[in-house]
Amino acid sequence: MQRLVYSLVFLLVGIGFSSPVAAETWYVKKSATRLQAQAKARSKVLAKLNKGTPVDVLGKSGKFFKVSAGGEKGWIFRFKLTKKAPSGGGGDGDVLGALGGQQQIAARESAYGSSIRGLSPVSEKHALNKGISPASIEAVKEMERYKVNDEALDKFLEEGRLGAYGD
Amino acid sequence: MKTKSIFIILFLLGAFIWVMPSYSLNFGNILKEVEKSTKPPEKSQPKPEPEKTQQPQQTQQTTNQNGGGGLIGLGNSLGIFDKKTSKLLNQGVNTLKALQPIGYEEEKAIGGRLAAEVFNRYGGAYNDPNLLEYVNLVGQAVADVSSRPDIDYHFAILNTEYPNAFATPGGYVFVSIGLLKMIDNEAQLAGVLAHEVAHIARKHALQTLERSRSLQGISSLTLTVMDKDPGLFDKLIDEVSNVLFTKGLDKNLEFEADKYGREFAYRTGYYPGALGRFIQKLGASKKNQGSIFSSTHPTSGERYRLLNRSSSRYKKASLYPILGNRFKVAMKR
Repeated sequence: MQRLVYSLVFLLVGIGFSSPVAAETWYVKKSATRLQAQAKARSKVLAKLNKGTPVDVLGKSGKFFKVSAGGEKGWIFRFKLTKKAPSGGGGDGDVLGALGGQQQIAARESAYGSSIRGLSPVSEKHALNKGISPASIEAVKEMERYKVNDEALDKFLEEGRLGAYGD
Repeated sequence: MKTKSIFIILFLLGAFIWVMPSYSLNFGNILKEVEKSTKPPEKSQPKPEPEKTQQPQQTQQTTNQNGGGGLIGLGNSLGIFDKKTSKLLNQGVNTLKALQPIGYEEEKAIGGRLAAEVFNRYGGAYNDPNLLEYVNLVGQAVADVSSRPDIDYHFAILNTEYPNAFATPGGYVFVSIGLLKMIDNEAQLAGVLAHEVAHIARKHALQTLERSRSLQGISSLTLTVMDKDPGLFDKLIDEVSNVLFTKGLDKNLEFEADKYGREFAYRTGYYPGALGRFIQKLGASKKNQGSIFSSTHPTSGERYRLLNRSSSRYKKASLYPILGNRFKVAMKR
């Protein structure tokens, strides 16, 4: 009888470890997030996901989550994902449930990205009226024009063994 | 013996069935510790952004200020509420209206205007394209893993020897050449920039503004409202300027920016203790004494102590890189 008990305990523990785990839904924080073939920064890029895309987290390896996104399985650097559904205007605000809501927000954010560029005329007019020097205003415009190149950033991270390239 | 064994089996089965539903991977716990340790000050739940209809807002604003708008106004004119009650009700409505979150477009207009102020007050832009590229790379790397990576961040170096770092709403981050000269390695720079990114990501200046009296009675702050009412824009800018350049943010918001800053630097892969080390160094420096940075921030000792208190999450990251050589090369180029 004791053997039977031990066998059952063993069996239950075995079942517990091998049973499929319930996937949790996370969301992509920023557009162009890479879904990769392996849990390595240099592995093949299977797709680039839009901001707000829901993904089912299936597992973890190092700094990567194994996910399923739109039927495709792959790996994403874990800090590119959030448990909170991203909201309009950026940031970790409202949690939206419906997928439709996510897509709307993602579209709105992309629109923001391309349209809100440069110093607002309201800000510029106000600054000039308050005696801010044209050089200071130009410095803000120059600051806004400066864009970090994605490839340069990737190379920078790889050389420093940072981000997804870290151990 | 048999009965005892059957009980054990039943107990195990029961326990297994009870445990099973919660036996799933819960990755949410990974960040629970930092969320717990960085519990932000109480803030009302953000409401959906209202439709931007400028004309009615202005009318509403005027009527509310006169104490005669909507149902309260109707109740007042019909004699349902006495003067005191309707005044109280109006105050309540105005306070609620002040809690409407400021949209990104408006946030950027406020931040951009303040960015011009920063250049004007603190020596203008420091002209070194290579160093600027390096600062932008480190800054963008930490911003990409922040809690708000989906907006554009801009990083600039200020041409002043005083150790300074600022963030204005909408994604503008500044670090002075004086501060850069005090930094020892890239991990410290990442910590400093991440602290500023955290102020933007957590909308600290905006939170302060949203709670202020300047926005009372305004249902939604739009660019058109700001443009048509220069007096209002003046007030907003004065208020945030006063907070950022004179009074400083609430101490708890600074502590929160330290914790989130360290977290963002850690997520990027930098040694997370570097920010604390730099805060200590800054506190001990004579250069910092009497500077705007020291007058607008809590003491280094307090900041370091609070960071240390919540550092258990980072024990495994003690060997993460500090990248001292890369920083030195960038500074010498």
